[in-house]
Amino acid sequence: MRKIAKTRIDDVLRALASHYDLYVPVEGATTRTSDVTLWQEGLVNASRFRLYEEGLPLYWRTNTGLSPKDLFFPQTEKMYTAVSQNKTVEIYEEPADAKPIILFGVRSCDMASIDCMDRVFLQKGYEDTYYRNRRQRTHIFALGCSTHEDACFCTSMDIDPQAAPAADVQISDLGDAFGFTPQSAKGQQTLAYIDGFLSDAYAATPLPTDPMLINVPLAGVTEKLETMFDHPLWDELSPRCIGCGACTFLCPTCYCFDINHKSPAHTHIVKQRSWDSCMFIDYTCMAGGHNPRPSKTERVRNRFLDKLLYNRQRHGRVFCVGCGRCVAKCPVSLEIATVIQKIQAAEVNP
Amino acid sequence: MNENVIQVSGKSEISQIMREIARDLLQQKTVSLVIGWEKGILPNKSAPAFITQSHDTDKLVFDEYCYHNLTKYLLQRKGSGLKTAIFVKGCDSRSLVGLVQDNQVPREDICIIGISCPGLMEERNTVIPAKKCETCYTSIPVEYDFLIDCPDTKTGDDEPGGSFAHRELSKVENMTLDQRDTYWQTMFQGCIRCYACRNVCPVCSCKECCFDLTSPDWVGKGNNTSDNSFYHLVRAMHVAGRCVSCGECERVCPINLPVMLLNSKLSLSIEELFDEPPASMNLDDTATLSQFKPEDPEEFM
Repeated sequence: MRKIAKTRIDDVLRALASHYDLYVPVEGATTRTSDVTLWQEGLVNASRFRLYEEGLPLYWRTNTGLSPKDLFFPQTEKMYTAVSQNKTVEIYEEPADAKPIILFGVRSCDMASIDCMDRVFLQKGYEDTYYRNRRQRTHIFALGCSTHEDACFCTSMDIDPQAAPAADVQISDLGDAFGFTPQSAKGQQTLAYIDGFLSDAYAATPLPTDPMLINVPLAGVTEKLETMFDHPLWDELSPRCIGCGACTFLCPTCYCFDINHKSPAHTHIVKQRSWDSCMFIDYTCMAGGHNPRPSKTERVRNRFLDKLLYNRQRHGRVFCVGCGRCVAKCPVSLEIATVIQKIQAAEVNP
Repeated sequence: MNENVIQVSGKSEISQIMREIARDLLQQKTVSLVIGWEKGILPNKSAPAFITQSHDTDKLVFDEYCYHNLTKYLLQRKGSGLKTAIFVKGCDSRSLVGLVQDNQVPREDICIIGISCPGLMEERNTVIPAKKCETCYTSIPVEYDFLIDCPDTKTGDDEPGGSFAHRELSKVENMTLDQRDTYWQTMFQGCIRCYACRNVCPVCSCKECCFDLTSPDWVGKGNNTSDNSFYHLVRAMHVAGRCVSCGECERVCPINLPVMLLNSKLSLSIEELFDEPPASMNLDDTATLSQFKPEDPEEFM
């Protein structure tokens, strides 16, 4: 392991930013440094990953308020533009960027969520070109957690908050320093750019993570859910849901999108895809007006069966990584940790 | 108003009285559902509770994390003819009055159990009062069938449209035009359009919302500053004159955007323009923008 004092982290970031598009966890809504004044004026947004710029207020405490999924799977993504000219239609694809990206400071939970997204967009026999383009040129620096939010429960999902084996580089919190360990050839190669700033850290031990407040063992949940499609639990849970999309938009493993278009001129159509949410009424609405999930009961049931059962059947793992974002932000606390508890407690074959 | 006031000696006693009232109402079949709060998964989380069995009433709690304005849930019972008991804090009681005024909920179907509110705390910092409490001037419910009267009752500002809202607004109003433009653009750009603010709002009672329509698609599905601004501005105009400043929209925003600012501005403007009391303070009033008086200002004509 090689290390650098936390106070000198900007040296490392500056060096990486000169070779890569470097994304770092940033506090507040700052898209530009000049916005920092606005942020101080009380326009405090959730922390999220932003393109590195000197002077941004970096956020190192815990995972970011918004997950890094929008870097691979933007909330709204242009797909192509169709232009009609002289009775023909020309299609213009969006040019693909080529510059390599570094995602710096991803927590173990979010690294696991990137694995979930890879399964959906790359490993089901069809590769999503938009996702692949960003994912393939991204090098990920994971950062171990020495503390956690009240809402965190990654350990319940069998995730080690200190270790993300799928990352290219593992960063460890050594107290007053960050320690870097390469975990892939890509990781080795990126570390070469900053090696001059690092010194050896023999026998350094990362700070341990405090025990988490939420403990919701998953054992048996998937198997139990196989028999619970018609269980009264869903009627009991769903009245509380307000049907917003906060959980799905914050969830690092929610991948649903809707393809739509806008028409900036009558000769132009821009096709785009945007995040969609299974909690929205119109999500399953058919062209003829029929809705197979007409009430909140069906929608709430679908969301949790999808996370805990269907995705395990389809993609080989439960699609919850215990990041705690829905626990922290669901307006009415109808979040997955509570629901897992309710499932565990439910009597089957009532 | 039915004067059924139960005095408690402190806020720690509120939960017990809630349970007793709820149990009686369910046992006597006066109501078929009680909507209150229960404890959530974390000590600093409480959650809406739906109680139909008298033996479940022990789940009910009232503590400093019972932020949720439960009155919106009454719309789920709309048209059922079933009787519902609901717990309200001062701020919530106004939105209930608003729902009755808007003919969304028949008053006689609702048993209102008011709690004179001792104030809520910030979820992340248990010594700071919740932001929604800073603008509060109605900690004692304006309408109730039962009142749990707690001596610890606390209000934020002591007058309608009080100084806190003014102070927040003046920060924006004192900006130059360019700064203000950047401010709003930054805010709207940050919105992820999860619609939590709309869905939690007790005044947003439309059966079908214009933003959910796909044909015509008034607002595009794509997330961009223009469509996001359109959403926020239209929503602010739709709730103008009926917003009771319960602060739920701002509390639930996962991005922590100051969603209330636009609503506060419109509420204050309406109070100033029409010289009317704040919305939904009294069941017998008509909402300011739902009535006409010959002396109404019409500078725009």
